[in-house]
Amino acid sequence: MSDDHDRFDNFSRRTLMKGGAAGAAMLPMGARAQSMSAGGASATGPSVQRIEVSLDINGQRRDLTIDTRSTLLDVLRHELELTGSKKGCDHGQCGACTVHVDGQRTLSCLTLAAQAEGTKVVTIEGLSDEDNLHPMQRAFVENDAFQCGYCTPGQIMSGVACITEGHAGSDAEIREYMSGNLCRCAAYPNIVAAVKQARTEMGG
Amino acid sequence: MAQDYTPVPASKDNMGKPVARYEALQKVTGAKIYAEDLPVPGRPAYAWMVTSGIAKGRITAIDDTEARAIPGVQLIVTHENVGQLGKLETFANGGLAITEVGPLAGPEVHHDGQPVALIVADTFEAAREASYKLAISYAEESPTATFGDAGATEKALGDINPEYEPIRFNDAEAALANSAHTIDAEYRTPIQHHNPIELFSTTAYWEGGRLVLHEPSQYVWGLKHSAADLMQVDADNVRVKSPFVGGAFGSKGAVTHRTALAALAAKRLGRPVKLVAMRDQGFTHSGHRQETRQSVRLGCDANGRLTGYDHRSWEFTARTTPYYNGGLDKCAAMYAFDAVRTDEYVVQGDRNVPTFMRSPAEVPTIYALEAAMNELAAEAGIDPVEFRKINDTRVNPVNGAPYTSRSLNQCLDAVADSFGWTGRDPRPGSMREGDWLIGWGCSMAMYPTQMGPSTARLIVRRNGSALIEVAAHDVGTGCYTIAAQAAGERLGIDPQRIEVRMGDSRLPPGPISGGSISTASVTSAVANACDRIVEELGLSSDASTDERAAAMAGMSEPEIEVLGRWTPPGMGEDALQAMYDGGVRITGGNMDERTMFAFGAEMVEVRVNERTREIRVPRIHGAFAAGHIMNPRTAHSQYLGGLIWGIGSALHEATEIDHKRARYTNDNIAEYLIPVNADIGEVNIVMVPERDDEINVLGVKGIGELANVGTPAAITDAIWHATGTRIRDLPVRLEKLL
Repeated sequence: MSDDHDRFDNFSRRTLMKGGAAGAAMLPMGARAQSMSAGGASATGPSVQRIEVSLDINGQRRDLTIDTRSTLLDVLRHELELTGSKKGCDHGQCGACTVHVDGQRTLSCLTLAAQAEGTKVVTIEGLSDEDNLHPMQRAFVENDAFQCGYCTPGQIMSGVACITEGHAGSDAEIREYMSGNLCRCAAYPNIVAAVKQARTEMGG
Repeated sequence: MAQDYTPVPASKDNMGKPVARYEALQKVTGAKIYAEDLPVPGRPAYAWMVTSGIAKGRITAIDDTEARAIPGVQLIVTHENVGQLGKLETFANGGLAITEVGPLAGPEVHHDGQPVALIVADTFEAAREASYKLAISYAEESPTATFGDAGATEKALGDINPEYEPIRFNDAEAALANSAHTIDAEYRTPIQHHNPIELFSTTAYWEGGRLVLHEPSQYVWGLKHSAADLMQVDADNVRVKSPFVGGAFGSKGAVTHRTALAALAAKRLGRPVKLVAMRDQGFTHSGHRQETRQSVRLGCDANGRLTGYDHRSWEFTARTTPYYNGGLDKCAAMYAFDAVRTDEYVVQGDRNVPTFMRSPAEVPTIYALEAAMNELAAEAGIDPVEFRKINDTRVNPVNGAPYTSRSLNQCLDAVADSFGWTGRDPRPGSMREGDWLIGWGCSMAMYPTQMGPSTARLIVRRNGSALIEVAAHDVGTGCYTIAAQAAGERLGIDPQRIEVRMGDSRLPPGPISGGSISTASVTSAVANACDRIVEELGLSSDASTDERAAAMAGMSEPEIEVLGRWTPPGMGEDALQAMYDGGVRITGGNMDERTMFAFGAEMVEVRVNERTREIRVPRIHGAFAAGHIMNPRTAHSQYLGGLIWGIGSALHEATEIDHKRARYTNDNIAEYLIPVNADIGEVNIVMVPERDDEINVLGVKGIGELANVGTPAAITDAIWHATGTRIRDLPVRLEKLL
């Protein structure tokens, strides 16, 4: 009985996860499909396929040869040393890996790196430079919208998208549309305050 | 949320300035400040822990043919080729190991999720794929999952710890028999997991004979010594780096199997190795809050004065390592009881070993006491706030030791005023709005004031800047910030000109980040360092901060360096040496001469939908008094996080277990429910000024584990007030109200 309830509860509470998965599905697979399907796991032979990709990360072109199975998150962290995006679950449940793909918030742990070819990816490192913080970053500092800070890059990327999507109209709406980003330190009221402050500055 | 919600409150009496966090800029820009993000020399290999698919039995065969065939696989370690690792002691024996069973110690399987192999490959993807292809055969036995399951064995705490003594204060049985009103109830608390958002990771590499570990840690000096013991090298040849920790809550204090496995793999491969326990593996890797049963009998006379209190608790723990929290002695100190009896037991089964989790003893035991207090107040027809005030005490009734300070009544008044408690109709089911049944509940919050030894190296420079170095830890608490404030306030230096270094075992030792001891301990050592500076400058100890600043500006040398150190009063100097050796020494709380606690009071409004039984918490208020508050900004965030943690503890969090196979069934962070933003409404925090000159140099009480204690009792009472139904089994989910 309790399991049924848990499943139901998850769906209603974490509507954002659906958005994240749908966002990933919309990304073009295109020409890569052929080389990706050429591998195929077999019990005896090697199953690793490597492909060349050209990614646009924070406005820079990055040409890489990667494992076809690599997620965008792992490529950011392992290949490009962009470790601002965090791995908190690798299952699209926590939101710590949130980046922007063509301006849409996207869970980079549920996105294959190969899918990101032809898109513009922005991570927390590309949101601003330290001398000129994004209004959302400044609002997070001023409202103490974090403690340990580990979920913060994902919260900030989601917070920016929450406003650009037009989902920051009220406290209740901000809470709902920020609920795909878990914060175990539970800075939630301060995160809502930060999004509201940034909304004013961003003109959202 | 109230329109006037203020994330960063202003200072009140006996509070420091609400300055922004030292590392705030780094945290909002994605800087490399967490252990796994730190650069390593050369391209690392990636390791994957293979964990047992059974909870009890033994490995009969391991076939790694297919796993080795995966391109990129470099190394597979199992119990057959792990070699000889050093042995660590567990907490009960003065060490830091989470379990008595060493890494890959043998073919025996003691719990689900036990690491049974390590696979290391050139890429993360290859290591993961190889883990699926490692064929392990088991001889499986029937495991014991939890309370009530076949094979569970019960022991009194005295059978495990010969120094443990149950409380026999006056005759509780007689006092209960002579009471006008009594409560006799059993309360149940679930398995909970810390689930910090940062996963448990270890990155290891060797530089010649020296081992470097990047591991998120609540005790880098302890981890340094433990890793040295495991790898059988000199502790001076181990360095642990953990500048900032991405949430811990107790889960990054013990030494787990992955440290030695990563260090071993790095040694064999001659390159850096990164090992991350994935979210599901984290559920069996680094402990949890164990499930408990609490049996409480509580009585009062016709005027509401408490008489007898009989509290018995059972904690479920591991067969290999009977970790326990105990803690009923703290419950017994809370009110003016005439007579107290406590008994504590562990029940053992085939489970991974629990560990401390945010207010380990207090969360289950104070929930039971406070729930019983609310039930007894209702039974006696007395308002629960008034009932607590009637039974306030200035001493621990069991040993007569006076409280150094105790502001529970002030907190009750402050929160009642903020919440509007006088508007409460005491009758259950008396308040509603449409389909929503409304209930209000309250509870006490408490946490012992604890401390440990600390050092702090301080360098002050003629140019007005300073440097503080101490191997303390910032798990989100603001430790860097308050260390700079402590020195700045004492020496007249702008905290923004003070560099702080922590989380590195190469620095002078600081205490474990546990038991909410860091602020009290570290600021005391920083204060001692400042006093030494003042002495070196030839000033008297009562020189003003302006005089101190002027003396520094006129120093003959470019800089002065001192090593401050502090050992809590009553603790022997051997405690300092123990910290240098990686040991843990903590004092405070219930002591023979004095009783040291921080207190708070919490009030909550719960709404239960009459048709669906959905439970919401539209508002929660808390008032807290904890001595000198270093920084109202970081303190506010800790209280905020604590109250919300308390909501999760009451309504959301529970790790479910399969009784037949003794495996956790919701070992992910979507099905292990924690509060999300949309679950949280109005949160209001009142900081009640309090001064305590007896506890430590600056009069600081730890607050990180205060606000989440008691919250579940406030919420269950509010649910009773809304519905008339008493739920004594956490968490309260809607099916329990059907």
